[in-house]
Amino acid sequence: MKFLERFLSSMDTKISEGPFKIFHPMFGAINNMLFTPGHATSSGPHIRDSIDMKRFMGIVIFALIPSILVGSYNVGLQAGVEGLFAAFMFGFLKLLPIIVVTYAVGLGWEMIFGHINGHDIHEGFLVTGILLPLTLPPTIPLWQVAIAVSFGTVIGKEVFGGTGMNLLNPALTARAFLFFTYPGNISGDSVWAAVDGYSGATPLAAVAASTVPAVEALNANGFTLDTMFFGFTAGSIGETSTIAILIGAAILLFTGVGSWRIMLATTIGAYGMALICQYFGTDVASGMRTLPAHYHLVMGGFMFGAVFMATDPVSAAGTDAGKWVYGILIGVMVILIRVFNPAYPEGMMLAILFGNVFSPLIDHFVVQANIKRRLNHGK
Amino acid sequence: MGVFKLKKGYDIPLQGSADRRVEKALKASAVAVQPIDFRGLRPGMRVEEGDSVKRGSILFVDKQRPEILFRAPAAGTVRRIVRGERRAIQRVIIDVSEDKAEEFPSFNRGQIADMSVEDARTLLLNSGLWPTLRQRPFCKIADPDKSPKSIFISAVDSAPLQAETDMLLEGRENDFQLGLDLISKFSSGPTHLSVSAKTEAFFSKFEGVELHQFSGPHPAGNIGVQIHHIDRILAGDIVWYISPRHVAQIGNFLARGVYPNSKTYALTGSEIIKPYYVKGLEGALISDLVDINIARNKQRLISGNILTGRQTAGDGYVGFYDDMITLIPELSGRRFLGWLQPGFNANSFWRLFFSKLTPGKKLAPTTDINGEERAFVSTGEYEKVVPMDVLPVHLCKAILVEDIELMEQLGIYETSPEDLALCTYICPSKIEFGDIIEQGIIAMEKEG
Repeated sequence: MKFLERFLSSMDTKISEGPFKIFHPMFGAINNMLFTPGHATSSGPHIRDSIDMKRFMGIVIFALIPSILVGSYNVGLQAGVEGLFAAFMFGFLKLLPIIVVTYAVGLGWEMIFGHINGHDIHEGFLVTGILLPLTLPPTIPLWQVAIAVSFGTVIGKEVFGGTGMNLLNPALTARAFLFFTYPGNISGDSVWAAVDGYSGATPLAAVAASTVPAVEALNANGFTLDTMFFGFTAGSIGETSTIAILIGAAILLFTGVGSWRIMLATTIGAYGMALICQYFGTDVASGMRTLPAHYHLVMGGFMFGAVFMATDPVSAAGTDAGKWVYGILIGVMVILIRVFNPAYPEGMMLAILFGNVFSPLIDHFVVQANIKRRLNHGK
Repeated sequence: MGVFKLKKGYDIPLQGSADRRVEKALKASAVAVQPIDFRGLRPGMRVEEGDSVKRGSILFVDKQRPEILFRAPAAGTVRRIVRGERRAIQRVIIDVSEDKAEEFPSFNRGQIADMSVEDARTLLLNSGLWPTLRQRPFCKIADPDKSPKSIFISAVDSAPLQAETDMLLEGRENDFQLGLDLISKFSSGPTHLSVSAKTEAFFSKFEGVELHQFSGPHPAGNIGVQIHHIDRILAGDIVWYISPRHVAQIGNFLARGVYPNSKTYALTGSEIIKPYYVKGLEGALISDLVDINIARNKQRLISGNILTGRQTAGDGYVGFYDDMITLIPELSGRRFLGWLQPGFNANSFWRLFFSKLTPGKKLAPTTDINGEERAFVSTGEYEKVVPMDVLPVHLCKAILVEDIELMEQLGIYETSPEDLALCTYICPSKIEFGDIIEQGIIAMEKEG
């Protein structure tokens, strides 16, 4: 190991100048990933917590593993591949190229901006690079992925000043770009199964298009609460399996990396709004308003968004009270979009982006309340 | 009596807390008074190198307020006046010789009770012990021309490995009461004394104070946190604070009429074998107190506690306000795949390491920053270690954009670097909250 360490440090001096300088942000990131940076404190606190951004982000990726595994299997299953392992491998080989393209393009941009701004590649993209592929259908053309990642990284993040400064979640920005630019490749009935000539609606689409009460429509398409909970339905790769996402949620909550306030508030907001819609939906015979509230929680991208996307600490509200408002806002919005927007039965992506846009305003009011308490104290 | 049960905060599990046993210092060869211990002080020298001084002779005064005196803690010869950048005086070193002392009048409780505020002020200024009184905001020596709205004393030990206050004051109850009688004259408001369950027995018997009980993890013992809960500082307010040990020191001066220079220190930290207390001189040379051959680059010696103390060396001197010396291992190089390690011995506030499965286990962390600086991540964890109604991230952002008005609104007056030290400690982005707060305080002082 001493040899490797010495090799890296000699490379470091070589790369920091000369024609390969542009690769320094990438090299620096790899260097500090292999060996801790080895900087000592100069003043108090003289000791520091063992946590760093690498471990922090590493936990998020770790929490995504169940979704990657079940999601890959389900891609195979939806394509009609038989056998547990065969189905998994089939799906995984669909997912892997999407991840590779996302990382290659995204890290390329990060390297360029790192070079311009004079810093190493930051860890944030490691998570974005897994999150985005999991929100896409397995049939997505790779060139579209490359364009979307470019948009998400450059417009969604770097123009604001890079990781930590962005207003919107970069992975969702990329997905929203695809959704509005190439809707045919990310929505509809034919994109979910990774074999030609095979089509199947997502549960949400099935309900939206139904002429009978929602649960009947789901059953007619072969969807039950169980299949949706375990994730054996059509949908984006990582979003279908609620149980896999909940395992990830448990990891995020136990470690404190994901905000329990946001996850809980989003769920409360969605469930509450869904109950209201259901209550006023007794006069209609079909469609979303006849869907029982708890079904919403296991369908579409709700759980994936609530656990992994809404909790992005950069684009979410930063204050404790703000997180409640932010989460409830997202929860309410997703149901409103699902129920009242006939064109698009899935609402999670837009609801979270909507929440992202409002989070600075929400925080502003929480900060003002803090200021007011301080002022009133003197009276 | 106010009872404050604080939930927020964190006690870092560290090896090396001192046993309750006091030993004598090895020798008393040198002492120093260090102007850098006092925030913003510009000293006006009254001695030169080579002068011989008595215990209690004036060494220097505060240039802006020459009535604030700094007296020699021991008799001997001024060996060196050490200057740093731009010739700023860092320390005045005295080689200690035969103990000759300046003499002052002595007082009893009755005399102190009859004394006017003006006389009390003159007496304390003249004693050289005025600098023991500090003020908030700005954490600097109290301004003798101002009258604080209240005075605070914290006898709550919450800082990592902190010296136990009752240990430092054992047998000095009379001194403490006499000192208390004097300082409580300076404010028309109350003198607040905060105790913990551990120190309550010792401190509950004194007269003329409002007693409060604090419990909870660090920083419950910080004066800033206690002020926040007892009597908040708003724009325009001034409060004074003083440590219990200094109150006893003032009392001792009043009773005996000589500058009291004996001081008990806790020697702590994972690198000290069998940590204990040691009785030595104020401003003592550290190698006089303890026999340590500090291997440079292997160990770090800190005057003060691990969170807020100042790095020093064996040939350094203990700071004026410090009751303890901490010795910890220095960073030992880069670690292979550090971020992926299970971390059975990793010190962390976060539940991301296996060490969290053994919560009682005391650790011996090094000075490794364990990462690189990144952007703020508002996970809500910072708020968990700040037991005050202050938004640490927003306050720091206001300071970084130099928005004076917003800083004031978000509570810069109530905050000091030490109160946010744990934010720096737990920060995954390795942001120096303390430095930012210091920057904010400097900006506010300039603003006036």
